[in-house]
Amino acid sequence: MSDSTEKVLDATGLYCPEPVFRTKIEIERMQVGQMLVVSADDPAAEDDISRWTTRNGHELLDMSKDGAVITFKIRKAK
Amino acid sequence: MATSTATTVDRDGLKGSASTSAEASSATVVTAAPGSQLPGVLGRVGNTPLVGLSALTSGASTHHAKLEGYNPFGSVKDRAALWMIMDGEKRGLLTRRKSIIIEPTSGNTGIALTGIAKELGYKVEIVMPEKASDETKQIIRWMGAKIFETSDDLCPKVGAGTDQSIALATSIASSRPDTYYSPNQYASEANFTGHYMGTGPEIWRQTAGRVTHLFTGVGTGGTITGIGTYLKEQNPDVKIIGCQPQQDHLIQGWRNFEESAKPDLFLRREGVVDDWVDVDNREAFSQVRRIYESDKMLVSPSSAAVYACMAKYEVPDGSCVVGIFADDGRKFKSVYAEQGVMTGDEFDRAIKAARHVPMPAYGDGESAMM
Repeated sequence: MSDSTEKVLDATGLYCPEPVFRTKIEIERMQVGQMLVVSADDPAAEDDISRWTTRNGHELLDMSKDGAVITFKIRKAK
Repeated sequence: MATSTATTVDRDGLKGSASTSAEASSATVVTAAPGSQLPGVLGRVGNTPLVGLSALTSGASTHHAKLEGYNPFGSVKDRAALWMIMDGEKRGLLTRRKSIIIEPTSGNTGIALTGIAKELGYKVEIVMPEKASDETKQIIRWMGAKIFETSDDLCPKVGAGTDQSIALATSIASSRPDTYYSPNQYASEANFTGHYMGTGPEIWRQTAGRVTHLFTGVGTGGTITGIGTYLKEQNPDVKIIGCQPQQDHLIQGWRNFEESAKPDLFLRREGVVDDWVDVDNREAFSQVRRIYESDKMLVSPSSAAVYACMAKYEVPDGSCVVGIFADDGRKFKSVYAEQGVMTGDEFDRAIKAARHVPMPAYGDGESAMM
């Protein structure tokens, strides 16, 4: 997949569970193999998004923190 | 046969109120039941009929049903929706054509809020579990609200079902307080006030002060505490009786307090309840056909459950018993087929022949199903 198919979701300023809800909606709209980069700054998003991703069979390729902002790189796997 | 107190009471005074100015609908001037002061569809909220129940009325006692299905969007929840929105306006939390009303609900409150908010110029977003009934989702979408469907895997730590919807609605509203307003029927005092100022006085007036027993189910607690508080202020001897469904029940809108917490709104005045009656799914559904045969009414599961409680509760001679029928049977075709109450064909015939299945303001739902 080229970078051009990568989607970006800015969920900063939103409280859980809205970031994971928006992640779910975005993933549902994507094609298998496409990538989604989510950023969130609610500390609860770390658990919510990473667990939702693996529980639903998608790949969490990377998770990094810059200050309060957590960035997730997810590949839709099914 | 019903006695004189069992006569259907007209929805008096409503036509005259239709010319009320738009300004009069502002929450700040409303001191009595708003249903009698608002123009158009909103003026039809409340003032529902009280009718006799012929199979229960015998000897020296009379039994009646308060038919909340006559509210414009089809249920008792029109009252809560109207009062909660007007309360939000009065407190400056809502601005017409700007604010978005968001509420977690999987049933009648979603329909009522959507219908009433649209009349008043608000957008509505309803958050509900994805497993909620398709009929309700379709009606709400068709009426113009946006629906967010939650699943139990979203955020398991907050709980399942409606708890997921409550968490999402709360998070959406709290990060955008300038745009969103969540009435929260489980805590809103306006939900109580609607019944204290509306339903309670209506029952007192319709029974000419003779009511001795009130039966109703409990979901938020707004209905039972609002009506109960008002009636006891008029006559402390009036008995307020709550109907409790079994655990894992099929009575939409009700809560069993062993499996679900008591809502804040109910807890504030739970002392108003004098007694409880248990009712299981089988008892409730078995009454649907019986009521149709005795009174030619096609009622909802919760109304049938109230009826079942009224039927098995002994009252002294001379009693005047009122049960709250929260909605009619219109939305329950698939439920009744699943529960073996009546087939789809039987339902279609019954709804045509039945009395007291008024057409809601959103139509017969057929358009919503297309």
